[in-house]
Amino acid sequence: MIIGDFGTSYCKFLDLSIPDAEPRIIASKELSRETRVDIATGHNGKRFAGRYINELIALARGGETMIEEDDFVLLDCGSRDIKFVKYTKRKLADMGWNAECGASMGFTIELLERYYDLDYTSLMVPEQTFFVTCGVLGMSDIFDTVISGVPVEEAVARFVKGIAINAYRFAGSPAKIYLSGGLCANPLFIGSFPCQVVPLGRFVLLRGLAAAAGLPSPPSLG
Amino acid sequence: MTGASPTIPHGLYKKIGIIGMPPLALIREANVQGLSILDLDEPLVKADLESASPYLPKVYCAILRTAVVNALHLELDAIYADTGPGKCDCALHTATILADVLKIPVIKTINIDSESFGAPICQSGLPLLAKMQAITAGVKSAAPRLNPPPPCPPTAAFWGVPPRDFSILELFPDTTHIYGWARCMENKTPADHELEAEYNPEVPTVFFAQSFCAKTALARYLAGRHPHALYLDLDAHTTSSARAKIQAFLELSGVMP
Repeated sequence: MIIGDFGTSYCKFLDLSIPDAEPRIIASKELSRETRVDIATGHNGKRFAGRYINELIALARGGETMIEEDDFVLLDCGSRDIKFVKYTKRKLADMGWNAECGASMGFTIELLERYYDLDYTSLMVPEQTFFVTCGVLGMSDIFDTVISGVPVEEAVARFVKGIAINAYRFAGSPAKIYLSGGLCANPLFIGSFPCQVVPLGRFVLLRGLAAAAGLPSPPSLG
Repeated sequence: MTGASPTIPHGLYKKIGIIGMPPLALIREANVQGLSILDLDEPLVKADLESASPYLPKVYCAILRTAVVNALHLELDAIYADTGPGKCDCALHTATILADVLKIPVIKTINIDSESFGAPICQSGLPLLAKMQAITAGVKSAAPRLNPPPPCPPTAAFWGVPPRDFSILELFPDTTHIYGWARCMENKTPADHELEAEYNPEVPTVFFAQSFCAKTALARYLAGRHPHALYLDLDAHTTSSARAKIQAFLELSGVMP
């Protein structure tokens, strides 16, 4: 059984029938139209599978398998959107999916890294921040700040911090956040949250799909 | 001229439009005269919502933008718009604009009807979409409903107004009860704010409001008080993320398989 998380920028796949299989990551733009999986989630998923599970459900089910606490907030920061689930006493208490006003934040972070040839592992968390509501509006802040004489690295770091703070507030400003998505690998982003962050990696939704299929998650999913 | 009980001239009109819920006495009079009543709050014409933009801001209640589009494209003899506590200030200003733009009379009403008709449809086991259609259709009749459907035990609830896009309602189980202003509509007391604020804390509830509507404040406030709630606001159409939120909320709440 093949499960797939079809994200806006990247797709993640795992063949559950192969013991110890490692998940594969493919850039969405390189995805073949003939791709087929058994269960899919994600922005593009419906076209590629007979069974589709929406991203919030996959996120929540994945979180249930990875987090042992009774009360938790799990936030997923994707290329296109941010979403969270909040559990109290192991039951869903709140949720949100911001695909419009919080749009394109992850996408913009990656875009800036390439455009300015930056290495996020070497950037320090800045004192100041932008008040970012979406990737597009945040870019204007960066350009204005750079024009005013602030180094590009500092301006982009303020932008990334602004995104982290916006996501933190969107998730209800908890004391601790479990983080899902590709931005788990971005230390600047994680360090910019004003709370404790536990990165769970980019395969939380795949774990959710495995749970939905009634199958245990292989160790390769973290 | 604003008035609590405007009358309909005899023999002058054949087809009238309504915005919100005008007083029952006026609807009764329209029924007696055999007038055709069109509910302008619902999408009735194919014209794009953008055709309301010369008269209303784009960031405005989609229900009232729909009413303006209908008013511009339908052949009506008059419009009766409720502008009292059972509707909103946005409707008041919309009625003012329509009165200026259209060549037909646009009459502002204030509905403070308090006679309770009950809300059997809200508590029935009909599909949620059918429930809401029955409630909105009931606005055009002053007669008490005959043979109301039997009640069903609820597993979920929908609180709010009839949405501009009814497709959102297809996501809910038939055992969804209706609360909020839609319940006030069936009860024929649109200004009953106490009834509007009622909810059932025992079942997972989606608190819905149209984007840019004053009721977003009440919906979000009540969702915060409810032990198991999802607050949701939508503009003209049901977005994929809104659809996913409802599906996830119902499934993760154990309401839907």
